[in-house]
Amino acid sequence: MSIAAELPTRRIEAWKYSDLRQAVGLDTHVLRDGRDIIERLAPGTQRSTVPAGENRLIVERIGDDQHMDARSYEYALEVGASLVRVVIQSGSNLPLSMMRVRLAAGAKFTQFVLAFGAKLARIETHVSVEGEGAEVTLNGAYLAGPGRHADLTSVIEHKAPGGVTRQLIKGVARKGGRGVFQGKIVVERGAQKTDARQYHRGLLLEAGAEIFAKPELMIHADDVQCAHGNTAGGLDESALFYMRSRGVPEAEARAMLIEAFLVEAIPEGLPVELHAELVGAVQAWLLTGEPPAAASLEGTI
Amino acid sequence: MFEVSDLHVKVGATEIINGLTLRVPAGETHAIMGPNGAGKSTLAYALSGRDGYEVTGGAATLNGADLLALSPEERASAGLFLSFQYPVEIPGLSAIAFLKAALNAQRKAHSLEPMPAPELLKLLREKAAALKIDMDMLKRPLNVGFSGGEKKRFEALQMAVLQPRFAILDETDSGLDIDALRIVADNVNALRAPDRGLLVITHYQRLLDYIKPDRVHILAKGRIIASGGPELALELERDGYDKYLRAA
Repeated sequence: MSIAAELPTRRIEAWKYSDLRQAVGLDTHVLRDGRDIIERLAPGTQRSTVPAGENRLIVERIGDDQHMDARSYEYALEVGASLVRVVIQSGSNLPLSMMRVRLAAGAKFTQFVLAFGAKLARIETHVSVEGEGAEVTLNGAYLAGPGRHADLTSVIEHKAPGGVTRQLIKGVARKGGRGVFQGKIVVERGAQKTDARQYHRGLLLEAGAEIFAKPELMIHADDVQCAHGNTAGGLDESALFYMRSRGVPEAEARAMLIEAFLVEAIPEGLPVELHAELVGAVQAWLLTGEPPAAASLEGTI
Repeated sequence: MFEVSDLHVKVGATEIINGLTLRVPAGETHAIMGPNGAGKSTLAYALSGRDGYEVTGGAATLNGADLLALSPEERASAGLFLSFQYPVEIPGLSAIAFLKAALNAQRKAHSLEPMPAPELLKLLREKAAALKIDMDMLKRPLNVGFSGGEKKRFEALQMAVLQPRFAILDETDSGLDIDALRIVADNVNALRAPDRGLLVITHYQRLLDYIKPDRVHILAKGRIIASGGPELALELERDGYDKYLRAA
């Protein structure tokens, strides 16, 4: 258990809302810094390069029910390369994922994470914008049912000029469910003309639901456009009444509104069947309260 | 027949509607006019069953059905339709998906199968064309980025598709330019039928040049304080509400 002793405590800022030690069942309180912990827990880091000008799509379905499922990836996107990554997290134990992406000039990274949470699920993404004019879309949706914890954490560092970041995270939590969004965007001194926007919108579906959000913008350049917004609240009652006044029963109207709310975070331009799979998974959750079974997630793409 | 008797409605601790009585026989169009704060929108919301509009007394029936005992969705299926003064924007939900859900929910309430997609599309095309609504607009998220006039035309489209027995039009003229007003009015007029009633709530007489009412009622202080024929609207336009408020 040597690595387990290094697990971060909640006193570590980056793990404040996701108590990994408690989830693993450790009772010692050794202070660790929590950095790179997912990489250390993973059996190894998979490294890959998307060559200049090439496009790649990866779909990752995390549905394993092993006690702990830690994964670590590193991608380098060469000049003008494009990577689209879609993650669908179900399962119920300890799925932990770390993705590090480096972008050369004109490269484009688009990610969408659909997280249903688990005992503790954390999908962490670090993006380093190293070449001029690279573009990042880092969207996600979490759906935290009772007893589930879904953590979407990201760090985007703009180190080169003219980069663009678009981040839209939407999430819902039911009673006893917990959603966490931690999103840091750093614009370094040399990253002039960066255009970064980060939005997180949470919906607390019932009393006893929890959503923690920690948006951070650190801007060291003086000629940039950055915007962020963070909200958490209940379902829009006026929209609900509008639908009911047209004859849609309350439960159905709620489900339609929640679906509409969540699917807005799915980026445009995904393959049609993948988009349909994501929407289908959201609909299934709304209907049954459960994430799609891991088995049904394998190998559809 | 739409009938409201001695209706009392509270919003919070304040009584806004205060003993309102109104009868709209099938086939007729009535107008309710009133100054700001008279309770016009409160009346519309209370009749449609919105949360926060507490009916503390009185009755409201549509063709004999006790509206006040029904949920908003049941009132809709019973044939009640409210055209909103401020239609709600719903990002992520297309106007088509919204219409489809509404129509099929009402069909289900009447034990009918969902309308087959080709038939639904044909119906939408036909009704949208009459309102000069582009089908592409219906693929956009509901009311998001629609102009004021587009929103009101979309309300009229919903009414044309859902074919209610009784429709309440709350300030349908606000946000409409003269051309859009004429289009919406033409389509509302096309819905007039011996078995359908309309209640037009408005601030100004202008709308009533296009949708001609059989009766006009003045709402003030939460009650109908005067009723008359179409000429009452013209009198109001000329003399203002003061005369009636003083008498009330």
